Amino acid sequence: MLISYNWQRELTATKLDPQEVRERLTNVGLAVDAVEERDGDHVLDVEVPSNRGDCLSHIGIARELAVIEKSTVHSPKPKVENPEGKISDLARVEIRDPDLCPRYAARVIRGVKIAPSPEWLVKLLEVLGQRPINNVADITNYVLHEFGQPLHAFDLAKLGESRIVIRRAAKGETIKTLDGVERKLEREMLVIADATRPVAVAGVMGGEESEISSTTQDVLIESAYFNPASVRRTAKLLGLHTEASHRFERGVDPEGVLRAQERCVALICEIAGGVATADVLDVYPAALPAKSVELRPERVEAITGLQVPRAEVLRILTALGFEVREDNPARLIFTIPSWRHDVAIEEDLVEEVARHTGYDQIKTALPPASLAGEYHSSERRKRALRQAMSGRGFDEAISLSFTELTEDFDLIAEFAGRGRESAVTLTNPIIEESSRMRQTLLPGLLNSIRHNLNHGVRDVCLFETGRVFVVSEPGQLPLEREAFALAATGGAMAADRAQAERELDFFDLKGAIESAVAAMNLPPLDFKIAAVKHLRPGQSAAISIEGARVGSIGCLTESLAGAYKFRQPIFVAEVDLTALLEIKELPALYSPLPRFPAIVRDVSLLLDRKVTVAELLAFTLNLKIENLVATRFVGSYEGEGIPEGKRSVTLRLEYRASDRTLRDEEVDRMHIAVVSALKIEFMAEIR
Amino acid sequence: MRDQQPQQTPDEQLDHISQTVRAELKARFDNIEAQGRATLSPSEAEKQLQDLKDLRTKSLGKKSEFANLKKSIGRLPAEGRADFGQRIQQTEGVLVQGFDDEEDYRKRLIETSRSERESIDVTMPGRRPRPGHLHPVTLMRERIEDIFVSLGYAVEDDREIETDFYNFDALNISEGHPARDPQDTFYTTDGFALRSQTSTVQIHAMQRRGAPVRMIAPGRVFRRDTPDPTHNPMFFQVEGLCVDRGITMAHLKGTLAEFVHRLFGPETRTRFRPSYFPFTEPSAEVDYSCFNCGGSGCRICKGSGWIELGGSGMVHPNVLRAANVNPEEFTGFAFGLGIDRTCARIYQLDDIRLLFENDVRFLEQFR
Repeated sequence: MLISYNWQRELTATKLDPQEVRERLTNVGLAVDAVEERDGDHVLDVEVPSNRGDCLSHIGIARELAVIEKSTVHSPKPKVENPEGKISDLARVEIRDPDLCPRYAARVIRGVKIAPSPEWLVKLLEVLGQRPINNVADITNYVLHEFGQPLHAFDLAKLGESRIVIRRAAKGETIKTLDGVERKLEREMLVIADATRPVAVAGVMGGEESEISSTTQDVLIESAYFNPASVRRTAKLLGLHTEASHRFERGVDPEGVLRAQERCVALICEIAGGVATADVLDVYPAALPAKSVELRPERVEAITGLQVPRAEVLRILTALGFEVREDNPARLIFTIPSWRHDVAIEEDLVEEVARHTGYDQIKTALPPASLAGEYHSSERRKRALRQAMSGRGFDEAISLSFTELTEDFDLIAEFAGRGRESAVTLTNPIIEESSRMRQTLLPGLLNSIRHNLNHGVRDVCLFETGRVFVVSEPGQLPLEREAFALAATGGAMAADRAQAERELDFFDLKGAIESAVAAMNLPPLDFKIAAVKHLRPGQSAAISIEGARVGSIGCLTESLAGAYKFRQPIFVAEVDLTALLEIKELPALYSPLPRFPAIVRDVSLLLDRKVTVAELLAFTLNLKIENLVATRFVGSYEGEGIPEGKRSVTLRLEYRASDRTLRDEEVDRMHIAVVSALKIEFMAEIR
Repeated sequence: MRDQQPQQTPDEQLDHISQTVRAELKARFDNIEAQGRATLSPSEAEKQLQDLKDLRTKSLGKKSEFANLKKSIGRLPAEGRADFGQRIQQTEGVLVQGFDDEEDYRKRLIETSRSERESIDVTMPGRRPRPGHLHPVTLMRERIEDIFVSLGYAVEDDREIETDFYNFDALNISEGHPARDPQDTFYTTDGFALRSQTSTVQIHAMQRRGAPVRMIAPGRVFRRDTPDPTHNPMFFQVEGLCVDRGITMAHLKGTLAEFVHRLFGPETRTRFRPSYFPFTEPSAEVDYSCFNCGGSGCRICKGSGWIELGGSGMVHPNVLRAANVNPEEFTGFAFGLGIDRTCARIYQLDDIRLLFENDVRFLEQFR
């Protein structure tokens, strides 16, 4: 809101220069964004907090300034000269919806002469960024800036039956507002109507038809208090934000309605001529009660730490318009001024005292130590996960939680089997196609991969952790789980080298997720070939831990890759991080170091390529040969020299006794037994 | 074995041997000197080493004249035997040293040459996988968490989709308040709200822990802002809450001052301006002196010398009551700051939409 410095000087005789005013107002909570010199004046752009509607005027700001400077506000004492006649002979006012319009005051001026405003008024309005219109309209605007009370002038001759009816709009009614736009009205909007049709949208904008024109002779001046929520709703529905609605929404002073009107009418009579009625049609069926609030003086220090003398507390509050109703040592009771809709409780008064004493006067101290700090219980493991992933060359991604609806992905086990209808849907998305809360992190990562590929980066490894959502029982909050997803494509990049030594494959991604799980100190993951909707058959696996399925890993299907326009293989994995975090960490337990050396033997088996390494390892373990302490994978080979449908797998078997060094003959005997068992079980040949 | 001159005394024999060997060594040395030492090639040096070795065997070896002479010591008359023994030892020392020197010189030359041949370019890149990078929001969040944990705060978290109670009612945001408008807050078809501030966690934490409590809650929040260079419909906030007996605004000021000292440096100043938030009373906007210009005004702080940190204030008694904390017994302060915004300031991002594009060239810049 723009404030004229010169006008402030008239109202408060301030001794501060514009820059000082800026600083002091900012310190009491009225931040001044800028001071601009304009036509011999200084204009201050004040950012008024949304609860301080009373400061949306020059008098409101002057009141604060006077408290700051310990001075007084010289507000005008308007008095209409030579009024004549009764308004009830000229117009009628009826409030049909007093809940939306608690007070409405009308007064008529006859025989005005519509003309341009005098120069001082034109100049002032221009300084405040307002375009001058004519003397009557300009005076209403002047009083709006002065008292913060929006006023409206109707051409009395254009009001059917000279009637004002304040009511909700009827279905199908329309009005052409002052900006020339034909507007459809809705049932919940409050309008000012004459005998037959709306002539203004209450508190928002007048209608074109009843507008003051050069031929207008008699005007009706409206001054009212409208329900703030109603005006806000109407303005929003119409997409019409005006100086008037801005103030009504925040609440004008219901007790200031007549004074502002008197001021306006007096100025019109003075400037535009005409004779005002001797009385006002003031419809105020139920006066809004004056509220009071208690302040225990010691609460000022208890809340702010400020020691403010009682006399100063009283000075600040009374200067702000609070009246002392009761004053005893234990408590002060104040009547809240009618313009202060924001004050209701003791803490509000404490704030008034604190801001006018100065927040800079509050000392700084750390609270006495009492509680131990702690990270979130999962944070240590999540940090380990992130460190492991970045150590593996993965960059951390964060994607928006909203996505388009997609059924192309299998979800984490906890969400499995839920269809399209399980997505949490937004009623009011901001990005039209992103109206669902994500059920999987994968589309976000794939979009990011596409973004990178489109920008010429072809080697991309990303990971993300974040919430995924599905709907729950009707009326229940949606389920939220944390997921951990990875996506990788391109080459296995080394630092400071231009070219990757090789392309990434399934096992890079598998290794990465295994590193993360190991860093979190969890039991190893189990991978089994499985069909997964978004993964290429034969290169897709289900991931389990301690027997429970938690996710999937593999190569993106051709069709999905095509949909994203990927021309290189993309490897993705997603697991239920919430489930992982629920698993107990592996305890570290010491086992004695072996005292005798191990003897190792390698064996290369030529077998059907469908036989898995996991099966081979599990099989040798199950043989339960006492001195076979470990079987390890060495390598796998298929290609030249290996028949179609077969492959060669090399295993290393480690033999050791705990009480002696094994002799070669003993090891040979055991090894032959293992090898022949493998041969029979897997129909393998020894290479 | 060669004939010996029987008339020669052992002393004369020793002199003779010594002279002969020295002459032979010198001949080889002169040869190198004549050619210039620098031109001696490693292969030539190898050859000469072999030659020196042969010469050493011939001159001082078991079957040499010198060895015979040494053996003869025992046959000498007792008188003078010790003197001769000493002399022969001395002579042997000198001769061995002569051989050693010549050999060492050649060995060094050979070694130097091999080192040069096998030298590497130590400036070639080390062998390591390309390092990955944590997201700047994560880096900032971890820094903030570290500071507050060390100040005795617990890190809390809760739901991202909330009921109206936690998102609004309990935070003293009245029915009809603009924040509740679907223009500003996202709603699901089931009527739940995407949390529009992490203040929701205040309530959960107080319900879980009761008072006293000190906690921060970093997390995602959602507001219906159209994406532009300074807005995203999703962003990250940290909420802070300290409720105890005797907590005042002085503690709020002290805590946030300590926080900015640790985050931006001890010279950073803070400024508290009165403001308005439904969930605090009194309320304060917190600014800190610009980390770039120190307060004199620059591009980053838009000339004001101050940068907005966030909102704060004393917890509204209605909020305490909503979480079953007695406002007559306990007071508290709360604050909320934007993680993305702080990132944007510190890293001088001109467009915060970059934060969620996950462009590798962007992510690589942070550590």
